[in-house]
Amino acid sequence: MGNIVSPDFQKIAAEVLAVAASVIEGVDAEVAERSSGTSPRHVVLINALPGSWRTLAENLYSEHAVDYCSMVTGIHWPEGDEERKWEVVYHLMRTGVRDPPIENGIVRPIIVDPSKLRGASIPLEIEIHVHIPDTTTPSVDSVQDIWIGADWNEKETWDLVGIDFDGHQEMRRVLQPHETPKGYHPLQKQHHLRYHGFEEMYDDAQGFMRKPADVGKIK
Amino acid sequence: MAEMWISMGPQHPMTHGLWTLKIKVDGETVVDTEPDLGYIHRGVEKICEARDFTQITTYCDRLCYASANTWSHAYIYAAEDLLEVEVPERAEYIRLVAVELQRIASHLMWLGAYGPDIGNLSVMVWCLREREMMMDLLQELGGSRMHYNFPRIGGVKRDLPHGFAQRARAKVKLFLNRIQEYEALFDESTVFLLRSQGIGYAKPEEMINHGVSGPNLRAGGVNYDIRWAHPYSVYSELDWVPPVERSSIKGADCYDRYRVRVEEMRVSASLVLQALDKMPGGADTYHEPGDPMILAKAPTRAPEGTTGAHHFEDSRGESMFYIAGGGEGRGKQPYRVSIRSPMFITIPYAAKCMIGYKVADIPAIMGSFDPCIGETDR
Repeated sequence: MGNIVSPDFQKIAAEVLAVAASVIEGVDAEVAERSSGTSPRHVVLINALPGSWRTLAENLYSEHAVDYCSMVTGIHWPEGDEERKWEVVYHLMRTGVRDPPIENGIVRPIIVDPSKLRGASIPLEIEIHVHIPDTTTPSVDSVQDIWIGADWNEKETWDLVGIDFDGHQEMRRVLQPHETPKGYHPLQKQHHLRYHGFEEMYDDAQGFMRKPADVGKIK
Repeated sequence: MAEMWISMGPQHPMTHGLWTLKIKVDGETVVDTEPDLGYIHRGVEKICEARDFTQITTYCDRLCYASANTWSHAYIYAAEDLLEVEVPERAEYIRLVAVELQRIASHLMWLGAYGPDIGNLSVMVWCLREREMMMDLLQELGGSRMHYNFPRIGGVKRDLPHGFAQRARAKVKLFLNRIQEYEALFDESTVFLLRSQGIGYAKPEEMINHGVSGPNLRAGGVNYDIRWAHPYSVYSELDWVPPVERSSIKGADCYDRYRVRVEEMRVSASLVLQALDKMPGGADTYHEPGDPMILAKAPTRAPEGTTGAHHFEDSRGESMFYIAGGGEGRGKQPYRVSIRSPMFITIPYAAKCMIGYKVADIPAIMGSFDPCIGETDR
C-alpha cells in the first residue's frame, strides 16, 4: 500500500503545535478539519492580532521548524465587522526537508518512509488569519526575511489587494503594469466586475438592443 | 569590464511564454537578474468572484495550457472542502487517472521543449508523438483536446468510456517502453550533457525557504511530495514512491531536474495502470453521467464565513486554492478566490540560480525549472 503520512499522528502533531502556539499573547490556535475528497485532514488554524503576528512567525520558524510559506492571501471585507475590514491569510507549512548528507564525497538522498514519521518531523499545514481593523492604509509586518518564499506573495498581495507589508524591501507591481495608477488595487471590493449574460454579449454584437442602463458604456 | 543590463524577453525563445528577464552582465557572466512578470495577467481571481462555483472550473483549466487537468482538479478539491462534499471513491480513481495522464503529458511537453532549448532538436517531435497518445486518452475523458473541464464538484463529468481501460493500458505500456528512447536520446547526447550538467545548482533547504516545491525540489535528493505529506485522493491505496534524484554535492543541477521528471513519468504511468486495475466497480463498467457512483450531490451555495483550501501536487510544484464563501447572492459565488501558482514563486528563485553562470547557460537553467507563464500571471 502507498506510503502516506499517518493521519492520526498528523492530528496529534497538529494539536501539539496548536497548544504551543496558543501560549503567545494575542494568538488563538486550534486544530481544524478540512476535507480532501474522501478523507479528512487536520490543519492548525490560528487567529492572530496584527501586533503579535511577527512574534508568532518568528516563533513558528525557530521553535517549530515551519520552513515553508505557501501562500499569502489578502481579503477586503468592506461590509465586515469593525475589527475585520481587511484580512491577511497565511498558509504556511512544515515540510521537514533537510539537505541530504554527504558521505565520502557522495550525496545520500533522504528517502523517508512517510508512514513511519512521528512527532516534529511530520509535515503540517498551518493557516493563519490576521484581521486588520478599518483603515485606508492597511498593513501588517512583513515576513520576507524569514521565508523568502513570502517575498513575491507579499508583492502580489500589495499589488492586487492593496495591503502593505511593513519592512518589505523593494515593494513593486508584479502582475499589473508598472505604470498602474497609485492606489489602484483591483481586488478591493469597490471595483465591481460587471457580468455580461450570453444574450447580451453575442446576440447583439452591434448594440442595437441596448438596455437603458447600458447607454454610454462601451460594449 | 563594464557591467550592463540586458532585457531577455518578452519575446525570446528562452522565456517559454511572455515575460522579461533582465540580466546584468559582466562580459559573459551573469551578475544580477530581475524577472518582470505580468504580461498575460488576466485577473482570473477577480473574474472568479463574479462566477458561480461550477463556472470557475473552466477558468482554472485555462490557467496552464500544458497541464489543464491538474489545475481544475486543484480548484475542485478546494471547492469540495468549502461546500463539504464527500466524493464517491470511483470518481476519485477516475480523477487520479486523469491527473496522472495529464502529468505525463505536461512533462512530455516540457521535455520536448527543453531539448531544442539546449541543442537537441530531434527530441521535440519524439516527445510530442507520445504526448499525443496521452492527449487522445484525455480527450476521450473530457471531450476536448486541451481544456477538458472534466472534474465536477462532487465527482467527474463522465465515467470512463467503453474500451477506455484497454486503450489506456496499451498506450501507457507502449509509452513506458518509449521512455527508454528519450533517455537514450538525451543521455547519449554530448551536447545535452555538456549544457545541462554542472550548472544551476540548487540546495533543498534553500529551495524550501524560497517556496520551490515539486519535481524541482525532489531533484535535490529529498523525498517531499504533497501526495503523501497532505494526502488527498486515493494515493494511499496505490503502491508508489515519489522519485528522488541522487544529486551532486553542490545540489540539484539541470541534469537532475531532467532525470527526476523522466522518473516521475514512470511513476505516473504505474499509478494509472494500478488505478485502472483497482477501480471500484471495475474499469470496464460504465455509469451514465450524474450516476451517484461518479457524482455526488453538491450544494451550490457557500454561506459567509466558510472557507475552503487545498494543496495540490501540480506538475510543476505545489499549487493551491483558497476560497472564501459568501459572495454575491447569499453565497452563490465565492467572495474571494486566491490561487497559488508554483511557477510564480519559482521563477524569482530560478533567476537567482543563474547568477554566476554564463549568458549561454540561461536557457538551460530557466528551461529546467519548467516555467509556464499562463499560471504564473493568472
